[in-house]
Amino acid sequence: MMSGSRLATIARKEVRHIFRDWQTLVVVLVMPVMMMFLYGYALNADAKEIPVMIEMPSPAPETRQVADKIDASSLFSVRGTVPTASDPRELFRLHGIKALFRFPSGFARDVRRPGGARVQVLVDGSDPNLGTIIRNAAEPMLLGATLEVLGVEQPKVLDLRTLILYNPEQRSALFFVPGLMAVILLMISALLTSVAIAREKELGTMGQLLVSPLRPLEIIVGKIIPYLFLAAVDGFLILAVGRVAFGVRIAGNPWFLGACSLAYIFTALSIGLLISTLAKRQQHAMFMALGATMMPTVLLSGFIFPVASMPLPLRILSHIIPATYFLEIVRGIILKGVGLKELWTPLIVLMGEGLLLMGIAIRKFKVKL
Amino acid sequence: MEYSIRTEHLTKSFGAFTAVDHIDVAVEKGEVFGFLGANGAGKTTAIRMLCGLLAPTSGRGTVAGFDIIAETAKIRTRIGYMSQKFSLYPDLSVAENLRLYGGLYGLGGGELKDRIKEMAGFLGLGDLLPRITGSLPWGWQQRLSLACANLHRPEILFLDEPTGSVDPVSRRNFWDLIHRLSAQGTTIFITSHYMDEVEYCHRLSIMIEGRIAAIGSPRDLKREHGCATIHDLFLRLMERKSDGSPA
Repeated sequence: MMSGSRLATIARKEVRHIFRDWQTLVVVLVMPVMMMFLYGYALNADAKEIPVMIEMPSPAPETRQVADKIDASSLFSVRGTVPTASDPRELFRLHGIKALFRFPSGFARDVRRPGGARVQVLVDGSDPNLGTIIRNAAEPMLLGATLEVLGVEQPKVLDLRTLILYNPEQRSALFFVPGLMAVILLMISALLTSVAIAREKELGTMGQLLVSPLRPLEIIVGKIIPYLFLAAVDGFLILAVGRVAFGVRIAGNPWFLGACSLAYIFTALSIGLLISTLAKRQQHAMFMALGATMMPTVLLSGFIFPVASMPLPLRILSHIIPATYFLEIVRGIILKGVGLKELWTPLIVLMGEGLLLMGIAIRKFKVKL
Repeated sequence: MEYSIRTEHLTKSFGAFTAVDHIDVAVEKGEVFGFLGANGAGKTTAIRMLCGLLAPTSGRGTVAGFDIIAETAKIRTRIGYMSQKFSLYPDLSVAENLRLYGGLYGLGGGELKDRIKEMAGFLGLGDLLPRITGSLPWGWQQRLSLACANLHRPEILFLDEPTGSVDPVSRRNFWDLIHRLSAQGTTIFITSHYMDEVEYCHRLSIMIEGRIAAIGSPRDLKREHGCATIHDLFLRLMERKSDGSPA
């Protein structure tokens, strides 16, 4: 039996704590927005104006024209041309360039020969992503530029047409909005509840609550209700910023998305409760909550690294954490516009995990008496 | 005789360690009962059993007439508890703390308002109601703790080291309040390791290694053992224990 008035007393007190600790409240509300903008601009996969240099021993008109085309592309920005690069590493070090295009002295002559001209591209591999971008872009670009300079029409042997479904413009916003939902909802719910309960233990107020007529379940429910709202507000903020600043529209039913988010928040709150039964101090709770939520969610849920390309043990881990299922649901709803018919499996796993964790947490909470 | 608290062979073991070893305590209604013992003697474990926070390993007990094993929910509405650890919310105001604890015991509306007013008057907290609790001096926070524990007019108040780290003047005032509450019929069950202040108790028990080594009024105990103060009595009992002779 739960008493509504005792429940309300606890929930009201928790709301007071939240509003009185306004610094934390600001962090909770501003952090998701900041993360949106950070991910929005930092995760931008479209590289631009990569600094490069060109080695050109004999500046024949053809060579210069090809070099100009490299500079004219939005991908590269030519920082200088040298006649010879006796020590290419020196150029990388001094000028901070990411690639060096080395044209041979006989480039203009060689391109007209059957074997073609040899051009070497030195790539700075210290950033693997950028290195891959340069490598993939260099050949088609140089080939196109050379053919154009020579006035040769590219022979057409293959007409490849790729049609991208669900995120046709390949905008990274569509990729990080679901990911951030998964990370932030989990973090807020698990971190704040576990810290809130650990704080009561640290203060000694938990003992005071336990000797009162208050039941453990009333403590648990009364404490998690305010955080459920707070997490829901954060979810709404992420979607709103995604829409306004990054133009992310929800293709599916927003109410269904809301309902699934509540299921996920419930699971996250269970994790927070479970952590709070283990942690005696706020700091323990904080580290445990961050360790249990942030890292696995960012690294293993498929948010950044595709689950399919993980080694088996990590793939298994990835199928244990709730964020993986939530991510599948959110991507499904936001990008593909699908509903319950397609998403019932991850939703059931998610809710099952939530109920299981909540059950364990309540049991452990009682044992602590 | 009506007993507020009564235990028979109450025992609590944690594995091989017996924290509370067959204690028999009977506390009369309205009595100020001192529950003494060195650190680790088992005082807190005993209090936790009486408050229904911990199930005894064996033995039985009643608090306010209810069984401490089967009727903990009934006991909880009839007791007040103030722990050695400061147990108020420092970020809430004095009034908010009072309203919170009142709400937990089912008080509300006009009744709660009247009780808060009355309790604030009784403890001299009236002007402090809007203040944030964490900003008050220790002595006042401790009074507020007492007010919170007493707001629902419990039959029995359990005070676990309530005067720890409080200055002597505040401690003296605190004991005055205790006696005023006792005069109103509230039973006070108090632990302390300040041997001077426990002389204010009507009766007291001294616990050593989980057992009650002595029980009675301060005057009787001193006469019986030929000690000038409870302090001396306590030390003598402790020495006897280290001699290996039965306590």
